[in-house]
Amino acid sequence: MVKMIRSSAGRRSDRLVFFGALACAGILLAGSAAAQDPAELVVDPPELTLEVGTTAQLTATVRDAAGNELERGVVFFSRARRYVGVNPAGMVEAHRPGEHTLIAMVPADPGAMDRRAEPALMVEIPVTVPWPPLASVQVAALPGNLYAGTSLRVTATATDTSGAERKPDFAWSSSDSDVATVSPHGVLMLHGEGSATISASAESASGDVAVRVSANPAVRLEVSAAEEEVRTGDVVWFEARALDAAGNEVPDFPIQYAVSTRTPDTLVAPGAAAFVEPDGAFVAERPGLHTVVASGGSLTARETIRAVGRNLKKDWEIVGRGPVRDRHTSDLWVWEGLDGRDYAITGTWGADGHAYFWDVTDPSSIHLVDTVRVDARTVNDVKVSPDGKFAVISREGASNRRNGLVVLDVANPTDGVKILARYDDQMTGGVHNTFVAENHILALSAGRRYDILNAEDPENPYRVGRFELDTPGHGIHDVWVQDGVAWSSNWMDGVVAVDIGGGGKGGAPNNPVMMGSFKYPNGWNHAGFPYRSQSTGKMLVFAGDENFPWGFDPEGKLPDRAAGWVHIAEWDEDGGIGREVARYQVPEAGTHNLWIEDDIMYVGYYNGGLRVVDVSGELRGDLYQQGREISFFEPADPDGFKPNAPFVWGPQPFKGTIFFTDFNSGLWAVRLVDPETPRNMGEPN
Amino acid sequence: MSSRSRFLASALLVGLCLAPLAAAEDPEPPRRNYFVYVCAESDDTVHLLRYGPSGFEELDEITVGSFPTETEGPHGINISPDGRHWFLSIAHGMPFGAVHKYATGTNEWIGDATLGMFPATMDVSPSTGLLYVVNFNLHGDHVPSTISVVETGTMIEVATIDTGVMPHGARMNAKGDRLYSVNMMDDELVEVDAMRFEIARRLYLGTDPHAGHAGMDHGDMGGMRAPVVKPTWATKPSPAGKVYVAGNGDSAIYEVDLEGWEVSRRFDAGPGENPYNLEITSDGGVLVATYKSGKKVGFWDLASGELIAAPETTRRVPHGVVVSDDDRYAIVTLEGVGGEPGTVEVYDVATAQRVSEIDVGKQAGGIIYWKGEP
Repeated sequence: MVKMIRSSAGRRSDRLVFFGALACAGILLAGSAAAQDPAELVVDPPELTLEVGTTAQLTATVRDAAGNELERGVVFFSRARRYVGVNPAGMVEAHRPGEHTLIAMVPADPGAMDRRAEPALMVEIPVTVPWPPLASVQVAALPGNLYAGTSLRVTATATDTSGAERKPDFAWSSSDSDVATVSPHGVLMLHGEGSATISASAESASGDVAVRVSANPAVRLEVSAAEEEVRTGDVVWFEARALDAAGNEVPDFPIQYAVSTRTPDTLVAPGAAAFVEPDGAFVAERPGLHTVVASGGSLTARETIRAVGRNLKKDWEIVGRGPVRDRHTSDLWVWEGLDGRDYAITGTWGADGHAYFWDVTDPSSIHLVDTVRVDARTVNDVKVSPDGKFAVISREGASNRRNGLVVLDVANPTDGVKILARYDDQMTGGVHNTFVAENHILALSAGRRYDILNAEDPENPYRVGRFELDTPGHGIHDVWVQDGVAWSSNWMDGVVAVDIGGGGKGGAPNNPVMMGSFKYPNGWNHAGFPYRSQSTGKMLVFAGDENFPWGFDPEGKLPDRAAGWVHIAEWDEDGGIGREVARYQVPEAGTHNLWIEDDIMYVGYYNGGLRVVDVSGELRGDLYQQGREISFFEPADPDGFKPNAPFVWGPQPFKGTIFFTDFNSGLWAVRLVDPETPRNMGEPN
Repeated sequence: MSSRSRFLASALLVGLCLAPLAAAEDPEPPRRNYFVYVCAESDDTVHLLRYGPSGFEELDEITVGSFPTETEGPHGINISPDGRHWFLSIAHGMPFGAVHKYATGTNEWIGDATLGMFPATMDVSPSTGLLYVVNFNLHGDHVPSTISVVETGTMIEVATIDTGVMPHGARMNAKGDRLYSVNMMDDELVEVDAMRFEIARRLYLGTDPHAGHAGMDHGDMGGMRAPVVKPTWATKPSPAGKVYVAGNGDSAIYEVDLEGWEVSRRFDAGPGENPYNLEITSDGGVLVATYKSGKKVGFWDLASGELIAAPETTRRVPHGVVVSDDDRYAIVTLEGVGGEPGTVEVYDVATAQRVSEIDVGKQAGGIIYWKGEP
């Protein structure tokens, strides 16, 4: 007969103890030695409540089926050891708040049953570590002038006794509801003249802010736009202000913007045709008449402008190809050689360690001039020094696991490319991407950091510095250098800017100094391209995603599909932080590498092909929706590694030709051409 | 020497005389099916293979990892004691690697846990179900690393055990309360108390008379002593209480007596062979070693300490080895180089003769025996 044994540790352990008892019961039936088998594990106390930093002792008692105490070792561990710890003797220490679980287990006798995977007995000990009480609540400051009949948002933050900032649900109240009230969502509504105290409370803490509401002097609103007619995608600022009866501007008057649109009659069901942001930035996505409405209190004003189509569509001309059909192609670099001819280098992926060198002087007659093979499965990245003397190729999957990078003499590829150096010191985990900046090579190591190598003598590179984040779960995927600043792409940590000699923060190759970062919520940051807009002078960061929510089967028969977009941030050069203002997102496809030149962005958009986008002027919203896309090209090759499966890896515009690599078909050269006639896309531009 | 070991060793010698080593056909095909899982480290795949009456065949290829266009490196693999799950270490992450749990047979992914840098070899305690994974930290600085302890039911890392520089190899004793591992760049064998999550004993295998003291500060010692033995593997204890260690650096195999906690014998594998992984038969009679640089598989008679045969492999860079539960076959992985596929070879332990092979994904490395069936 199986006896159900209830652990003193509580409900959640019942099932486990039951299974342990079942196992032991089976042994009881099997032989007389079962009297000494553990049948019950009692932990005292069965559950704990501990304040942060305090300790408690657990004691464990093991009994056989007859209730006799047994001398058996008990293993303790924590399922959340960074929050609550327990040592082998059962001493518990609370580290952080929350509901946690400790485990006590009696090891099974592995000889008692063949191939088991459970302990004989296991008990869960719930541990509650309460949050420290809130110590204070701070209500954010409000504008200096508040007017009856208007409304605005009010926010608060809370801090607990440990100093940690918390985000509880606040209860809002007002000392005088005739003057002001606050909605449960934090909207402060100002009803009448007078003074009041607005309070936010949570637990036993509260904070407040005094408000003094004045009579509303505003009698009208004005709104104006800098332009009367714009193209879709252009950013136009609307400026609204409140005026009193004397025509003077009323300071701090809260104004909100909205937009209504009227598109051409031929454009049916267009969806949202325009938007206006809280700062008055307006962008039309569709042609038409767009009216921006400014409102504050009971006052409104409106202004209408016309938006016309951007009309910059181009067609493609395929100029030439360097097909690679027997293996996957990775990155490329195009440069003018010391002999005056133009060359391209392409890498290979998941193959046999090849890098190909092409003469692309005449893009219509691309031909292979040399091949280098190294001990690797993937040559993911290829770069050439600015002086065109040496190239760097990355290695992953080396047979001796030493990976690293290889430096090549490319002074005259036509006469042959020679290996100058192999460098793998502390880079054995694999180099996924590199960059050559003046006389230094930046090389990623094991997706963890980048090392900076002095390559003044490319035959003898040596490490002078390295940079690694210290954030939890950090990784790195790419690095790009511009004007002495290294911009690395770091997945969840976004694009990170590091001064390595030109950032003005005292950095140098042997002393990289972090300047700031631009991170965004999806954590897919794969490639970053810093760019100073030629039309606005603003420093921008273009950050591309990489993700495969539908999976990826490079050896399969079906085309693959990626996801993600290009995030565009304005970079605060003083504060070192990026503020995302725009995106370029092609539905049902995903970005890879990108290049920006002359205010035009070229994106390898994997299954979305090669994309060319106008990024001139101010940027807001989704550039794809705004008609900023100049053209796209999907390279289909019926004889490709995967037939007719465009999967563009990376582009590089060079001397009027756009070169790019496709994962399944190799190197391509194309040019933009004016369409002989506009393509009929079914509705007016 | 047990009668079983004598039989195996004698049969092996006879087999060597009778059959050419290059043969790849089983003169006496098996009547049972033998199942193994094999990692292809440069393809991010795991292969379920069956060797049996119908030959050597692939039953399934499982794509593993989280970042499809990057090679994450499945390295170590093991099976739960009840045979229901397999565990896989993925070397590269952000920046930490992970261990993943799958169901055997269906190969359905169940869960994962983030561990340390380059998690590698692992084993599961048959008495607690806890999983012990060494964090090899192959590609980092030579700093002390850890062994992660994972509760396999929840896939939560519940402890880390400070061990040494580049820990590799992890095999439990039969009772499940001791784990044996080596610290490659410390020239150490360690015995882990698997119940208290701490190092119980350290054995220095090198030749520096001033090194190898238990409890030494690895951080200080790291720069003072160049490793010589560079141990890469420790076997499970034999029935006679011996653990065998692969000296990859000095091309030797060490026999360690657990009772005396000392090296009892040292087998010289010969220059340039560089043993990498080891496995012993269930009675401790025969040891099979992969010779990573030597492109061979060594078969050792442990009673006499003699090398009986070292057949050359069909492809370069031998890596892992397991022995079937009936001790009949040793199954070996070969990494290959560059674009070559990985290969898995089957050797008849009694004759040291290769009886079959099959190609799998690139850089075949970690291997674990799942089961044998009629």
